[in-house]
Parts: sequence; C-alpha cells; structure tokens
Amino acid sequence: MFELLFKYPASLFAKGQFVFLAGWPPWALGICLVLAAAVLAYPLWKARQQHAETLGGMRPAGIWILQTLLVTVLLFILWHPALSVATLRPQQNIVAVVVDDSKSMSFQEAGGTRRDQVVQALNSGVLKNLEKKFQVRLYRAGASLERIEKPEQLTASAPSTNLGESLKQVAGEASSLPVGAVVLLSDGSDNAGGLDLATINEIRRQRIPVHTVGFGREKLAHDIEISGADLPARTLADSRVSAIVTLHQNGYSGRKARITVKDGAKTLATQEVTLKADGIEQTESLAFNAGSAGARNVQISIDPQAGEENLTNNAVNRLIAVEGAKPRVLYIEGEPRWEFKFIRRAIDLDRSLLMSTMLRTTQNKIYRQGGSASENVDGFPAKVEELFGYQGLIIGSVEANYFTTTQQELIRQFVDRRGGGVLFLGGRFALSEGGVGKSPLADLVPTVLPEKKDTFHRDPANVELTGAGRDSLLCRIEDNPDRNVERWKKLPYLANFQEVGTPKPGAVVLAEMSSGGRGKLPLLVTQNYGRGRAALFATAGSWRWQMTQPLGDNSHEMFWQQMLRWLVSGTYGHVVASIPKSVFSDETKIHLRAEVRDKAYLPSTDARVEARIMGPSGTAESVELRPEPTSEGVYVADWTAEKPGSYVVEVLAKRGDDEVGRDVITFRREDGVAENFHIQQNRELLEKLSSQTGGKYYEPSQIGRLSDEISYSEAGITSRETRDLWDMPILFLFALMLRSSEWLLRRKWGVV
Amino acid sequence: MRLRITLSAVLVTLFMWSGLFAFQRGRRGGFREYDEPLVTPADAGEKTEWAFARLKYPSPRYWNWTTDYPKADRQFVQGVRRLTRLHTRSVEQVVDVDTDEIYNWPWVYAVEVGRWDLTDPQCQRVRDYLLRGGFLMVDDFHGTQEWEVFMASMSRIFPDRPIVELENKDQIFHVLYDLDERFQVPGTAALYRGLTYEKDGVSPRWRAIMDDKGRVMVAICHNMDLGDSWEHADNPRYPEKYTSLGYRIGINYIIYSMTH
Repeated sequence: MFELLFKYPASLFAKGQFVFLAGWPPWALGICLVLAAAVLAYPLWKARQQHAETLGGMRPAGIWILQTLLVTVLLFILWHPALSVATLRPQQNIVAVVVDDSKSMSFQEAGGTRRDQVVQALNSGVLKNLEKKFQVRLYRAGASLERIEKPEQLTASAPSTNLGESLKQVAGEASSLPVGAVVLLSDGSDNAGGLDLATINEIRRQRIPVHTVGFGREKLAHDIEISGADLPARTLADSRVSAIVTLHQNGYSGRKARITVKDGAKTLATQEVTLKADGIEQTESLAFNAGSAGARNVQISIDPQAGEENLTNNAVNRLIAVEGAKPRVLYIEGEPRWEFKFIRRAIDLDRSLLMSTMLRTTQNKIYRQGGSASENVDGFPAKVEELFGYQGLIIGSVEANYFTTTQQELIRQFVDRRGGGVLFLGGRFALSEGGVGKSPLADLVPTVLPEKKDTFHRDPANVELTGAGRDSLLCRIEDNPDRNVERWKKLPYLANFQEVGTPKPGAVVLAEMSSGGRGKLPLLVTQNYGRGRAALFATAGSWRWQMTQPLGDNSHEMFWQQMLRWLVSGTYGHVVASIPKSVFSDETKIHLRAEVRDKAYLPSTDARVEARIMGPSGTAESVELRPEPTSEGVYVADWTAEKPGSYVVEVLAKRGDDEVGRDVITFRREDGVAENFHIQQNRELLEKLSSQTGGKYYEPSQIGRLSDEISYSEAGITSRETRDLWDMPILFLFALMLRSSEWLLRRKWGVV
Repeated sequence: MRLRITLSAVLVTLFMWSGLFAFQRGRRGGFREYDEPLVTPADAGEKTEWAFARLKYPSPRYWNWTTDYPKADRQFVQGVRRLTRLHTRSVEQVVDVDTDEIYNWPWVYAVEVGRWDLTDPQCQRVRDYLLRGGFLMVDDFHGTQEWEVFMASMSRIFPDRPIVELENKDQIFHVLYDLDERFQVPGTAALYRGLTYEKDGVSPRWRAIMDDKGRVMVAICHNMDLGDSWEHADNPRYPEKYTSLGYRIGINYIIYSMTH
C-alpha cells in the first residue's frame, strides 16, 4: 500500500535525501505560499460581508484552509520534489549472504528444519534475483565464517554461533572488496559472545547495511529451559553450597516440576517447584553439601514435561572446586561463657575448619585450646605474620582496651588488607559495654553502636529471619528455603541479647530478635569491609538452641558451621587465581588472572607468576603471566584451551627462589551444548542489528522484496540517483480530496 | 466460738507454713541442712551466666540431695567469683531432675549420689541432658556399697559407656589449676574421727564418663567430700589444705564444663 501511494518503498525514503529540482530556492516557495494565502483570503473576507447569513462564523476560515492547502500541493509539485539516493551499481558490488549454520538451525519446525527453510527460501529465486544485480557471495557462519558455493552445503552442525565474529570477518573483507550489503539469515541464537558494540560500530563505520531474515518461532509452545545456574567457583569441603537456578517455560504454567542437583549418579539436592507464567524468568535456590575435596562436576536439571519440544535445554553442568585446605579461625573470649563451649563443640564437628581459642579464665590467665602448643603463648597476636595466618577471627566478650592500639589496628588490617572475616559477639564486656564503639574497631562493626551502657540484657529474646536472611546461605539450617524459615521460627529463645544500635549503610540485617516491649532489634548483621567481611551476632545465648532442643536436632551446629564458613569463605592466600567463569561453552580463549600478595598481604609487583595447566587426557602446559599495568599485584595471561574437557590450573608465584604462594582453579570446556539453549528465534537481536546498521529485518515470507530494497546502500560502489516525487499518487489524491471537500462544503452551506 | 477461733488459728498457721515452704522450694528447693537463719544476699536476684545448680533427685531419705546445702554452695560461689572471671550468682539454683529446667543449667552438682534412686524417665532426661552438652559433677559418696547404689542408676543413664579413671594429664586437671598432686578431701565426720575416708572408701577416685569425643560428661568424685571442703572453708577446725584443693577441683570442673 505504501509503495502504491508513495511510488517507492519506505526504505528508499529512509535512505534518500529530499531535494527540489526546479532550481528555485526553497524560501521562494515559502513566500509564494504566504502570498497565495493572502490572495485567497481577500475575496473570502469580502464575500463574508456580502453574504453574512451563509458565510458566518468559521465557515470562511474552513474554505480558506482547504484552498490554501490545495495551492500548497500545487506549488510543491511546481518546485519539482525528488529523492536523491545512493544506489549500488549493478554487478559492481558484492552482496554477502551469511547463513547461520549452527546446530540450532537443525531444530525441527513446521515439518522441516530451519536449515531446510533457509535453503528453500534462497533457492526460491532470492539468490537468482540478487545475482542479477550483484555479485553474491554465500557464507556459512558457525564459530567463524566460511564461504560456500550453494545453499545445499549448509549442514546446520556448527557447535556454536558467533554472529559477531562472522560479521567482523565480512567487515574485514569489505575493506578490500566492494561489499554493498550483508544479508544475514539466522535464528539469532548467538551463544559465543554476542554482538558487541565494537563490531556494530565497525560495520556502521563502513556503512554496510545488514539485512536480517529471522527463521524459527519466536516462542516455543511447550518447553522448559534452565537459562542459568549460579554456583560458587570454589568452596570448602563439606560446605553447604547454594545453586541459584534460573528457568523459564512456555505451556506449563502452574504445573509442578522437580529440579535436581546431581554429582554423577549421586543426587545432592532436589526441590519441587511450581512453574510461573509463560515466558517469566523464575529463580529457585537449592542448597546442598559440597562433599569432600576435589573438582566436582555438578549437573542441574529439571524433569522433562509431557510434550516438551526441546529436551536438551533441561540440564546444565557446572564445575565447583572443593578445597581441601582447612581455614583457621581464632576465637578470643574474655570470660567463661556457655556460648564459648557450644561454639567450640559445633566447630569440633566440622572437619573443614580449625579453630584456636583463647579464653580469659582469670584476670591474668588465658586458657588456649586448638592450634599448636606454641600458638599465641604470649597472648593475642601482635604481629602481622601471627594474626594474618588465620582466615577468620571471633571477638567475644572482650573489652576494646584489652587489645593494644597496635593490635586494634592489626585487626582492622586483618579484615581490610588480608581479606579476613571478623565476627563480633554480644556479651557483658562486648561492643558498647566494652568501649568498642569508641575504638578503631568500631569501623569493623556493621552497626553504629549505642553510646550508652547497660546494653547487654540476660533476658529471653525470640529470633526471626529477615527477607535477606531467608535468601542467605549463612542462615540456612535447612535445605528447603520455606522449611528453613519455619525452623528459624521454632528455634528456642536466646538466653540473652545486646542492643547494638542501627545498621550502617551497606550492612545487611539477616536476623532480628524481639524481647519484651523493645520491638525488633538487629541480631545478625553483616557487611563487607575492604577485602574482607565483618559480622555481628548480638547475643551470647544461642547455646540454648543446643541444650533445649531434642537430641539430634542440629540447628545450633549447622548455624555455627555456616557462620564460620561464611567468615572464612572469601579469605584467600597470597595468590588468588581466577577465570571469568567455570564453564566455557564453545569458547576457547581463557583469560587467566592472578592476584599476588607478599607476606604482609601487600600487592607484590616483582613476582614471577606461572600457570601450569593440566588439560584433558593428561596434556600439560606452562603459561607465564605478565603484570597488568593498571592493577598493582595483578598478573594476567590469555591462553587457548583447544580441547573440550576439564582443566586444572595451578598458579605459582615466586620471588627469586622463594615461593610467594600458589592457587589451584578448575574450569571446563564444552562444545555444542550452548546451541541447545535459547532455541527460539531471537528477533530482538536481529532487529537491533539491522536497525543499527541501516538494514532491515525481514520475515521469511518477505524475503522476495530483498533484491529490490537492498540496492539502496551507501557502502560499496554506488551512484547517486534522483527519483521524482511530484508524480506520487498520494499528491493527486490529496489535491482531489481538498477540492472535493470544498465543493461539498459550499453545497451544504449554499454558497456555490 | 472457741472451735471457730481454734480452727482459724490452725488455718492461719498452715497457710503461713505452706507459704514459707513454697518460698524455700522456689529458689532453694526445700530443706536445709542447718537451722541457722538463711540470709539472702542483696544480689541474689542478679541474672548471671552461671549459678551453682544443685540437682534435686529422689532417694530413700528425701533430703540426701540437700547435704551441705546451701552453705557449701554459697561459700564455693564466693571463691569462684573471686578467683575467676566467671559471672556467677551469689545464691544457688536447685534443679529438679523431674523438670526440663535442667536444660537451662549446663553444669549441675549432685551430692550423696550413693543414695540416689532415679526412675527410668529421670535417667532418660539426665542422659539427654548430658548428650546435648550438659555436665554432671557427683560428689560425697564413699565405699563399695554406695558406689553400687550410684551405679544402679548411672548404668541406666548410660548402659553402654564405661567409667574411666581420670589421668593426671587430663585437661580437667589443668584447665585453670594444675592439679597433678591430689589427695583425699575428707568430710568433717571422718575428720573428727581422725580419718580422711568413710566406710571402705580408703582411696580417693577421680573418675568420669566420657562422650564420643573423649570429653568428660560426668565427673565422679568418689571417696571424697568436696562439699564439706566448701562448706567448712570458714571452719577453723577444718584444715585449709582440703578446702584449697576442694575449691581448685570445683573451679577446674566448672571451667572444664564451659570449655569442652
């Protein structure tokens, strides 16, 4: 219809430049219009005075407007309007036809695969029509671009799609060849990096329009897909780990489905979920025990539903490095307390943690437990190498001034620089009672402590999780989130509690307590501080959870084990190696990063850092990491992992012959798996690509128009053409309509 | 008229007597060993971390659990307060083995257990209490016959756990004071007879029942009377060396129970 009225397709108007060919200046058109309007107005004004009964009110103005518009159309035509447009010169330009040849194109739809639909579309005359005007180069795109002679060579078997890389290669060819346009036929399912801004900018710089033709349904009628699974890259042995699973579905809204986490044949966790509305992202959390030390390949899956169209997107794999190292925690307690005993007993049951304790039994005696015989014999550590040997620190009912100024600063540095975790407990000499609020330690406390005394009360307090606490793994004493909340509600009351003021900005309150008429008070608060973390547990009365609950109830042990694991979870050694993710799907480039710190945990800039990489089938390789110029103590290297499989990377840092430290990380490479996900057409991506490059998105049924519309391009070898607009049917229809309207109005008002 | 006055007097007397009885049971559980007026310290109502929890248990003679009570308890607590940083209450807490109140007191003291006679539910409660982390110190029973009576109930609490002799190197003798050199702490009755032992309990025995981790759950002070050493700390006729050792053992047991 548009073309019928306006003579040319809309794309021409979008690309063309509007011009007047009459040779008269455009401002003259404006003057003529003003004069014409004035000339038309005068007789109407005179007529109104003579025929006031028929031309009263706004009638003359209506007629004047219609006449003026008609004159405008006529003057516009006289000025000879036209479009100036760049057009590809016939047979002098190359059109790159890029076809997505990845596995997702083999998906069966409407009686055939997407690949079949593409072949059929290209062979239905599209290629021939293009070849009449241009030199056509046919490519298939997988992880990279490959030229083919005919559509039948498409196999839809490439393990991945990297549209960005393919378009980059086309843009590269365009620098030496007259590429006038790119036609991309795809389902838009890019799973190897996506289209970055640099690629799009490069194509735009060369003014190459990318026309996209989208294949595949935009929504599967019946499908459940696990679209994401977040797990920690590393954890301690026997730790409770949370898998955050994201899924969406179509066609099964309201149904029950079971999510399962498995390590090989062993089920680690399972949870039944109710599926949300179609297309809505749904997030579920499953907690499980990481088990013994070693690399753990965890599969997260959701049970298939009846009639599901794609079963290959119901499971994902993730790798977790379960560390065998036993972090050390130092617990200093200022007075004999039941809390001390029961925390010790809870941690005694944890094989992955080592806790050394110092208890002030009398004014001048300290009873030490755990650790070596020589550990802290002179009292609380006063040197970096003594305190920084721990990963976590618990400060019980201890006055701030029990620590020297040096020790207070050391504790602060332990968290800030070392990246350790510190936990403050409530107590008779703790926090406000012990003057912590007025000491350098106050920075570490996640609340603004009250300045008053008498904040510690030996009165019962009931506990309750906050919203953040429900989601936190630290508070997870039961795998199932709902049952966990219920279990917290049923916990016996605390034997005592402490008022700890208001949480600082950035602090997170995980649990609250209530006692008498005091309302809700913060019980468990956490915050990040520097490289480390700090927590506050405003009671010394959680021991009742152990003593007053039935034998076999493990709430108390679970809570304290989780608490201490959280405390040490992000406290690493002198070398911290990392990679962007633990599973690389169809990606071979691995960016290794290592943060190296010296004995005092200051960034080490003069280390020699090497990565020893053990690949699948026992292959080994060494890679030297180079210092990152912009980050002190950071070393990086890029490496290519050719083979799919599991990799173990040991990063070793040395200064001279002295070893600074080492770290081990694992990752997994897999090919062809990502293509099973996001199987529906990503129309949004294709439309975005075409609109940002000056191209157009086509549905397969519109592909016939491609050969005509593709001609208008600024890229390649072009000539500028002008297309007359004065004879557009719309102008004549408009003029006729104006004249007819005036005549009808005059007839109606009797002023013919 | 006379009958009415007599009846009223009897009722008033009964009412007052029952009120006094109820008051004593509330904090102190009932009978006392001594008749001297009981002075309640000003800070008796203080809420503290620890209190001397005295186990009230059944026995053929009802009052066995009250031996040395409450003077021993209160004098011992004064020592605990003075010698440690433990926040303690000046008065004792009577804990009835028939109630779940025992779970709020992770350290309990039972005296003259050579005469206790626990029922099966009581045995079950004490077993639960100990396995959850509670600590029981038993004292002041002597000789073979009282040991057998003690074991008659204890073997129903823990049929499967052996009684072990505590060695000098055990932490319970070093947690605060080093107690490698221990001797028999006699009760006054034996001492006044010129002896340090009662019945055939010639040799003092420091014994225990351990949990699965090798921690002492039940500390058994057999053939000794630590209670008397606390009670008679202010008695010029009672030798200081016994009181001193009695205090040290008691304090070590408390600190041990709060650290293990």
